[in-house]
Amino acid sequence: MRYPRRTGGRLALTVVLVALLVAGFVVRLVDVQIVRAAELVASADDTRTVTLTTYGSRGSIVASDGTVLAQSVDRFDITASPRQVDLDSTEVKKDGTWTKVPTTEAIAAIAQITGTPAADILTALTADPESQFAFLAQGVTLEVYRKVAALDIPWVYAQVHPSRSYPLGAVGGNLVGFLGTDGPQAGTEANEDSCLAATDGTTTYESSADGVRLPGTEVVDTAAQDGGTVRLTIDTDLQWYAQQVLDREARKLGAEWAVAMVVEVKTGRILTAADWPSVDPNDVNLVQDNAWGARSFSSPYEPGSIMKPVTVASELDAGVISPTEQWSVPWHYTNGLPGDHYIQDAWWHGTMPWTTAGILVNSSNVGLSQISEKMSAAERRDYLLKFGFNQGTEVDFWGESSGTVLPLDEVDAITNRTQGFGQGIAVTAAQMVSAYQTLGNHGVRLPLSLVDECDHPDGSVSEVPDREGTRVVSADAADTTVAMLEQVPTVVLDGVAIPGYRIAAKTGTAEVAEGGVYTDDRIISVAGLLPAEDPEYAVVVSFAKPDTIKTSAGAAPAFADLTKQIIKEFRIPPSTGSTPDIPLTW
Amino acid sequence: MCWEAAEAARRHATRLRTAAPDRPQTGAVSSAVRAVGAPAAPRASVAGSVVRRVFAAETPEYFMLLGTTLFLLVFGLVMVLSSSSVESYLEEGDFFGVATRQGLYALIGLPVMLLAARAPLSFWRRWAWHAIGLGLLLQLLVVATPLGSGNGYNRNWIGIGSFSAQPSELVKLALVVWLARMLTERMHRLDDWRSLLPIAPVAGGAIFLVLLGNDLGTAVILIMIVFGAMFYAGVRLRYLLTAGLAVALAGMLAVVGSDSRRERIGAWLSGCPTVDADPQFCWQPVHGWEALAHGGVLGVGLGNSTAKWSWLPAADNDFIFAIIGEELGMVGTVLVLVLFAVLAISFVRVIRMNRDPFAKIATSVVMVWVIGQAFVNIGVVLGALPVLGVPLPLVSAGGSALLTTMAAIGIVLSFARRRPEPIAPLPPPAPVRRAR
Repeated sequence: MRYPRRTGGRLALTVVLVALLVAGFVVRLVDVQIVRAAELVASADDTRTVTLTTYGSRGSIVASDGTVLAQSVDRFDITASPRQVDLDSTEVKKDGTWTKVPTTEAIAAIAQITGTPAADILTALTADPESQFAFLAQGVTLEVYRKVAALDIPWVYAQVHPSRSYPLGAVGGNLVGFLGTDGPQAGTEANEDSCLAATDGTTTYESSADGVRLPGTEVVDTAAQDGGTVRLTIDTDLQWYAQQVLDREARKLGAEWAVAMVVEVKTGRILTAADWPSVDPNDVNLVQDNAWGARSFSSPYEPGSIMKPVTVASELDAGVISPTEQWSVPWHYTNGLPGDHYIQDAWWHGTMPWTTAGILVNSSNVGLSQISEKMSAAERRDYLLKFGFNQGTEVDFWGESSGTVLPLDEVDAITNRTQGFGQGIAVTAAQMVSAYQTLGNHGVRLPLSLVDECDHPDGSVSEVPDREGTRVVSADAADTTVAMLEQVPTVVLDGVAIPGYRIAAKTGTAEVAEGGVYTDDRIISVAGLLPAEDPEYAVVVSFAKPDTIKTSAGAAPAFADLTKQIIKEFRIPPSTGSTPDIPLTW
Repeated sequence: MCWEAAEAARRHATRLRTAAPDRPQTGAVSSAVRAVGAPAAPRASVAGSVVRRVFAAETPEYFMLLGTTLFLLVFGLVMVLSSSSVESYLEEGDFFGVATRQGLYALIGLPVMLLAARAPLSFWRRWAWHAIGLGLLLQLLVVATPLGSGNGYNRNWIGIGSFSAQPSELVKLALVVWLARMLTERMHRLDDWRSLLPIAPVAGGAIFLVLLGNDLGTAVILIMIVFGAMFYAGVRLRYLLTAGLAVALAGMLAVVGSDSRRERIGAWLSGCPTVDADPQFCWQPVHGWEALAHGGVLGVGLGNSTAKWSWLPAADNDFIFAIIGEELGMVGTVLVLVLFAVLAISFVRVIRMNRDPFAKIATSVVMVWVIGQAFVNIGVVLGALPVLGVPLPLVSAGGSALLTTMAAIGIVLSFARRRPEPIAPLPPPAPVRRAR
């Protein structure tokens, strides 16, 4: 047999060819795996790397004692796929086996657990039979969700629905505010959003072509940060009590709205800021939208006579009057007023020989007008501004009003006198209680605070309020004014005095102007301090447009109940010393 | 049982000795015969020496080929397990489904290979026609009867009950011995092109049947096998070039005649800068390159491939080289290249050491098949060739391919077990031998 010689050469050629091919492949591998590697990997990452947003949970709002007022919770939406529903029968799991039951029976079971009427569920399921999605119940609790899940109805699904819960409901509801679908809508939720809001994080992972997360590829780029906890200065017990009292009294008086505030005199902390009507943040639609905020901050009103101590303290401080200065006070007054304008007291009296204290305690408008004439409008306005009027408080609450102290060029001869007794000036309850805090704190005004601090999850603390005080009037002027007010409960105002305790108080009955004209409507208030010898608590109670009692006596029961509650709750020992005997007449 | 086996082996050895008295007795064989014959020898050593004798070989080529094959086989099993796990889970709910089957085929393939390595040359010659007949018959069943099935693109599977196989792989194996026999019989008339004509209908028929199943890749390999056989048999280059031109012409017509093939070639020619260049035909190569790039020099580590998570189609099969590159980096890919180069050198040495043209031609066909297919596969992954859909021999998942490849290497091993007597005193061509 002859085997062709040429095959030897062909084999050699083969070896060379294999070597060349291997070399060529290696060159190509170097190109792909080293030279162009970064570029190719980058383009692969573009398609494979998925970035996820991770969500932290919004912080809680708690009261000063730690009671939770608002918190984030997981709720569940019960949903269904109408397309999968056979309206005649549904297969459900009973005792571990699948059994056919009438669909109406399944619907009834869901209705019973979720509280959604069976008819509504049927409507949801039949509205669009081709739809893949319909809500059967929204925002149900875990317990309800578990019960529904246990029914094992094949066409029923659920999804997590992060939600906000307000465990105390309407207690502090006006202060807490609420969260809408677009974020915070009112109150502290809106005010302290920067503290409460969680910071979203991002996580990247590599995904398979069909969306599976590849094991071990998850990288947390930035961790989600939970929001901080806002610690309010609010005392939930007192807040609850104040709301109860307002509710009771406002209904009795037929008032349109009412506010009550309690502030710690020596710190400026707001212990209570109660509103009526009050909103339950869990269901804000139960009240009208004008009650969704806190009127104590947002509704300015003409305060009336509770403003008088501010005027007296200012003039005492300026040295233009003395506590026992002697005044002849008629009941009707036209001195220096243009045209047929007049000022008169709330009741008829002859010309009275009142001292400054007498004018204040008897709440004479005419007397206050005479006192006002001792000071220029500009100087009075400066004092009012120093007391904190015509500007928002340091709380800077959601929707807070700054009230109105008229600019000098708008102050006419009448307003120049009426401002002294609280007409022609608009204030909020927060500003008013702050003025009383100033008087109680020996003339030093402290910034009002509603938030004690924001505790961040990392342990840091922010939003600590400024507690630096500013002197408004001299200690002597403030203390003297408070001493005069001590005689109000004992001399003129029934039902406010508490045996054993010295309480300074001032009533106010303001006329309500509508469209520039004063009407029959009144805003009745009592403001005060206790204990009077060294005040700890400043209290303001106001009822707007009462029907049954249109004088300040109508506000007295609420004030009295509130002060009693303060004494009980804070265990204030009975007062020492006795009421200073400042003569009211000469 | 041990005794029976030993007795059978002894008889066989005796027969070999008597049948080939001109061959010098090797140490291994003679010592085995002595051990069997020695009555005092303990049974254990009897069994051990029988195994040694049955599978014994004395040429370095034998061990070079066997060793490289086993290395690639084990390496392939590891890579199949890694690359198939995800798809296997998605399709069967079992991460180990594909890998277990592959392992099973490897376990069957090992004895098949080692038994094939024991067969005498005359065995292959005798069964060559039967083999090609069976292969063609099964392939006919695939394309012409409902027994055949495919994956949507190719129709190259035969299913009987739950068992399925790729007859085209058997056709490759059959072509090894059939082409060797045909060309050996025509060895003295190779320069007369008419003597080669009888090869055309069978080989052409096989290629045609595979093309009917739309399996372009296997057809390309079959064409390479046929041409390779003639090339290494010593057929004149001008005949080969003429036939090659004819095939190239037919190939071009086939490409132009099919939209899908034209697009596939077009995508390849475009170079696929991104997947978007041709979402259908660039997807696989681009993801293959991204996998290779992701591996870099040292790889992302065994099992850590990203591409195998449904990004790279046929990750355990036609594109397993890309997964090797991703998980083991350039170290892995170069290793595979080196292993196939070593395999190629082993084949060349086996061809050189044999003097029987049947052994030479059969070995060269196996070489063209295994090395050619490996290089086509790697060329496809690297973008040097359009996507043809051929697996990487010994490494890719696929039972039929693994079995037939191992059998083919077994055939080569049977030629490599013994070095023929020195060439120097070359005896004249013996008519006896040709008749055998």
